[in-house]
Amino acid sequence: MTLNCLVITDQRSGVLSASSLEAISEARRLVVKAGGGTVAIGLIGSGLSPVVEAVKGQGVQRIFLVDHADLKGFSASAFAQAAVRMVEKLPAPVAVLMPDTALGRELAPRLGARLGAATVTAVVEIVPSSSGGLDVKRKVFGGKATETVHMPSPVVMSLRPNSFAIESSSGGSPSVESVELGELPVHAKGLSVEKVISTRGDTPELTEAAIVVSGGRGLKAPENFVLVENLAKVLGAAVGSSRAVVDAGWRPASYQVGQTGKIIAPQLYIACGISGAIQHLVGITNSRCIVAINKDPAAPIFKIADYGLAGDALTILPALTHLVSQSRGLPDPH
Amino acid sequence: MDILVCVKQVPDPETKLRVSPSGKTFDSDGVKFTINNTYDEATVEEALRMKEEFGFSALRVISVGPARAEEALRSALAMGADEAVLIETPRDMPLDPLLVARYLAAAATDIPHDLIMVGRQAQDDEAGAVGSALGEYLGLPSYSFVTELTPVPANHLLKMKRYVEGGEEVFSAPFPAVLSILKGAKDPRTPTLPNILKARKKPLKKIPVKDLEAKVANLPGGTRPTSETLAFTLPPPRAGAKMIEFQTPEEAADRLLKVLKEEAKVL
Ligand SMILES: Cc1cc2nc3c(=O)[nH]c(=O)nc-3n(C[C@H](O)[C@H](O)[C@H](O)COP(=O)(O)OP(=O)(O)OC[C@H]3O[C@@H](n4cnc5c(N)ncnc54)[C@H](O)[C@@H]3O)c2cc1C
Ligand SMILES: Nc1ncnc2c1ncn2[C@@H]1O[C@H](COP(=O)(O)O)[C@@H](O)[C@H]1O
Repeated sequence: MTLNCLVITDQRSGVLSASSLEAISEARRLVVKAGGGTVAIGLIGSGLSPVVEAVKGQGVQRIFLVDHADLKGFSASAFAQAAVRMVEKLPAPVAVLMPDTALGRELAPRLGARLGAATVTAVVEIVPSSSGGLDVKRKVFGGKATETVHMPSPVVMSLRPNSFAIESSSGGSPSVESVELGELPVHAKGLSVEKVISTRGDTPELTEAAIVVSGGRGLKAPENFVLVENLAKVLGAAVGSSRAVVDAGWRPASYQVGQTGKIIAPQLYIACGISGAIQHLVGITNSRCIVAINKDPAAPIFKIADYGLAGDALTILPALTHLVSQSRGLPDPH
Repeated sequence: MDILVCVKQVPDPETKLRVSPSGKTFDSDGVKFTINNTYDEATVEEALRMKEEFGFSALRVISVGPARAEEALRSALAMGADEAVLIETPRDMPLDPLLVARYLAAAATDIPHDLIMVGRQAQDDEAGAVGSALGEYLGLPSYSFVTELTPVPANHLLKMKRYVEGGEEVFSAPFPAVLSILKGAKDPRTPTLPNILKARKKPLKKIPVKDLEAKVANLPGGTRPTSETLAFTLPPPRAGAKMIEFQTPEEAADRLLKVLKEEAKVL
């Protein structure tokens, strides 16, 4: 058996995200496990030369490029057309992998629908199956169950961030091949983004961070929220919040984790002064390890947390920050 | 100008999941189904706002599911939708999100739609795949993770914000289109008793899946799911948090960091 993988990367925010590197690493591993084949990276967008340079050293055999002025803004329909052109260049069996970012989550089903391919989103584990194709695992029911799905070739899937190891590559000198986009349907032509409102500070993106520290109403006052941010800073973590914090105007909506906010799956989630309402929990249950700091030992968050500290977040947070910064030789943030 | 909202009936999130005898799915016997996917309630609310503020005329809701899914549609009617369509499946029909999208597409060709709206994801399968696949089958653009929506009906334009990693994009794009709604402007309303009673009399049309099979067979992928579920497994039940004992904040910090490093191995 062999397998040919196409990895569609996401550089919508201008950089190649860690989740894209996870997908590239996993594609290299899959081809080895399958007993050979090609890994190709598919770059779709406009003005891609810097990205081409960035992916050249990723240990893949081919780079496909659709660089077109009409692809400046993301249109799933237009990007799917570009991806189909790339898939056509790879002999079967083929698997298309992409990160489960906002872009990947919308593109994978659209591409899968166009190809009539087996399609799944938010995959956390992949194994080549003995009967050809791939068997994948994904979390369902808010992380309460796992589904194993058999996918015959061609396969299209998005990979959940933080679920696959990034392995540094062996270099390589891939061929760079320009692929013809063809005529786009009118509705897919040149979607133009007027403005990008950036909420990215100097902390990692919530949905992709390996560690997330979150604060809730239990922090008592907006000026105390900085205690959460200080711990995040020394841990290299992203900062999240409950909706109560957003509703109270302490932090913008981009911080909110949960049903009407972001759904995240970090390695470590630290909830500080958050009660654990169901609408918050649906956003975090796929985290690998959950720590809760809450004054109330009966708070519902302790039912789903792995470790609990029943106590005052206002005193425990500074102690944690101090100890982490000490052990890492960092100055205490203020 | 008409809106079509896709809703899915899902098991109550509080329900205790059990594995079915086949080992391939959850056991729906005795499971309480909620009236609606909460993400779809938010979408129905946003669609009602389109009607109330921007002059869209009719709001229809549609679902693919067994007979019990009528409850989900009735609840959307009680929120204020005008009509409902149930694409009725046999109880154990194997479905995946793209096959659902093919049935929705086949039915939607006969239902007026200037805007089609779906929720961010279904609470059970968590795929978030139906919306953009539906756009593909219908040959319409799709816009996902929409966080703000202002239509300009005269120009058939939608002004939108959508979530992207690191922020939001502000853009305008044409409709008809399929939108997946991340967040509406308002929390979903709770139907009042009079509206629940009224909803019982609103039109609800049932279409058996077999009536749509010929159309679905013409779409890529056809009438069968393209993937096959091999297993549905439950992790051992969560025991609840291991509580860390401490006297002082310093001790709390010290003990927590130790277990995170040595036991959980996440630091
Ligand atoms: C349609 C809808 C959608 C929603 N979507 C979301 C969502 O996406 N995300 C979300 O988070 N919520 C959401 N909610 C709101 C949710 O139901 C809760 O109201 C919210 O999560 C509560 O936030 P909280 O835990 O910060 O506040 P609270 O529930 O007030 O909890 C504060 C906690 O802090 C503890 N505490 C107090 N003092 C201290 C101290 N000094 N140290 C440590 N602990 C302390 C208390 O014991 C308490 O458990 C939604 C609600 C609805 C109706
Ligand atoms: N069986 C269904 N019937 C109607 N709409 C559905 C169905 N399944 C999913 N949807 C719609 O598609 C959205 C995404 O679902 P999913 O792709 O299954 O996560 C949901 O929020 C619904 O709006």
